[in-house]
Amino acid sequence: MNRTDRTHALRLLVAWAVLSVIGVFIAMQVHLPPGDQSTQSVDETSLLDLMLVISTPVFIGVVLFILYSVFAFRQTGAVLEDGPPNHGNLRLQVAWVAITAVIVLFLAVIGINGLSNSAAATTFASSQSTLGTVGSAGTASGHRLQVQVIGQQWWFTYRYPDFGGVESAHLMLPVDTNIEFHVTSTDVLHSFWAYQLGVKADANPGVDNITYVSTVQTGSFEVRCAELCGIWHGHMADPNGQVVSQADFATWIAQVQKDDAGISLPPYSPIYFPHPPVKGS
Amino acid sequence: MVVDRTPRVGGRLAIVVLGLAALLALLTGFLVTFVFHFPPTLTAQPTTVGNGVAIHLETVAAVQDAIAFPRPTDPHPDWVSYLPTTIFKVPANSVVTISIDQEDGASGLRNPYWSKAQGIIGGSFHMSYFDNTGAPQAGDFSVIDPTTLAHSFGIPDLGVFVPLQGIADAAPAGSHNEITFSFKTGKAGVFRWQCFVPCGAGSIYGNGNAMSTFGYMSGLLVVQ
Repeated sequence: MNRTDRTHALRLLVAWAVLSVIGVFIAMQVHLPPGDQSTQSVDETSLLDLMLVISTPVFIGVVLFILYSVFAFRQTGAVLEDGPPNHGNLRLQVAWVAITAVIVLFLAVIGINGLSNSAAATTFASSQSTLGTVGSAGTASGHRLQVQVIGQQWWFTYRYPDFGGVESAHLMLPVDTNIEFHVTSTDVLHSFWAYQLGVKADANPGVDNITYVSTVQTGSFEVRCAELCGIWHGHMADPNGQVVSQADFATWIAQVQKDDAGISLPPYSPIYFPHPPVKGS
Repeated sequence: MVVDRTPRVGGRLAIVVLGLAALLALLTGFLVTFVFHFPPTLTAQPTTVGNGVAIHLETVAAVQDAIAFPRPTDPHPDWVSYLPTTIFKVPANSVVTISIDQEDGASGLRNPYWSKAQGIIGGSFHMSYFDNTGAPQAGDFSVIDPTTLAHSFGIPDLGVFVPLQGIADAAPAGSHNEITFSFKTGKAGVFRWQCFVPCGAGSIYGNGNAMSTFGYMSGLLVVQ
């Protein structure tokens, strides 16, 4: 490396360092989804924050190098000439591959660790239960609750097997509770996506799709369908999902039980099949 | 022999122009007949009491059987439908009263949860109907047998769900059940409404044809 090359490298290094510090500072101010209402969403948000902070200096380095090259090494003379032969640089290539590999593997380990350390998944995996057998004290005994999510054209409804299988048009969850979602459908394919809770699961007829969430903070969240399911798919969204205190949940579920008393709901079932397959058949 | 391969510019240009014209015509037809084709808008009529408006609707087993609101030029005369249209304009922060002449027979709900009225003033709706002997009856109801539903009227974003009982087999010919209910609108917005009975006869799971085509069993409530 001659003196001119060193000058270019130094300039790039200093500019990259300064811009990276600024870029990382800005990146840390960005609010990334999904949120902080559940253990899972906190894990996902933290991982996205980490990825953004790591990728920002990489992005700045690549763009800066391109822009610097365009201006510093542009053709200034009238005559076009070939540049000097480029024979490669072993140290640069090794460093390039090694740093990239370290970053990617580091993120892979962090991501896998986040999945495997999901508090709710660990809890439920060690104590499997049959759907609807937790009992009316479901939220009190180990702060655990089963909720069935039923997709139908074009709205989600929710049944609470721990409370007699009552059904609601809105999803209400108690805070500090491990939620065991059983996601299914009565007609076509849907996808249950509780955005701020950081959970998304396919809702298929005849399938009991189980996923977990541990609520850690009260607040509202939005439920959307994430599977194109027909003419009103775009309107299959409910912004009124809520994580509430244990006491508020107890009050709410008591009211739902009272409201549902007159409805001839079918016996609780982990799955449903659309019937008849063709209307009028 | 020398072959003249000079391109016939005029002929090729004509083909290109004709092709583009055909494409433009197809695109225009698609936009006019599908993308921008909306049912007419029905503006709710003011009522004599308070800040209220009223809408009168009809539900039929087939458009061609309509009594109150015939639609003779409908492209799907054998489809089930709300009539006269499915886009309603109502004022914000008002009381909307809807009365429905329900003329279709019962076909039942897939999810019985929708058999309960929700989100309406008083928690119940008024229904004049015919019982299984054909005798006229009337009363206020908050829930009905889910197997007797013909249709429902639901505005999920407003939490409004109302079941509509099917006309009894013993009811006089040409008669209907009349269901009346009221709900409050809040701020301005456009809200989807739909029938939650999978009533698209002849379609897979009953959610095809009339259930999946704008202007039959679903529509918009324009609050402004």
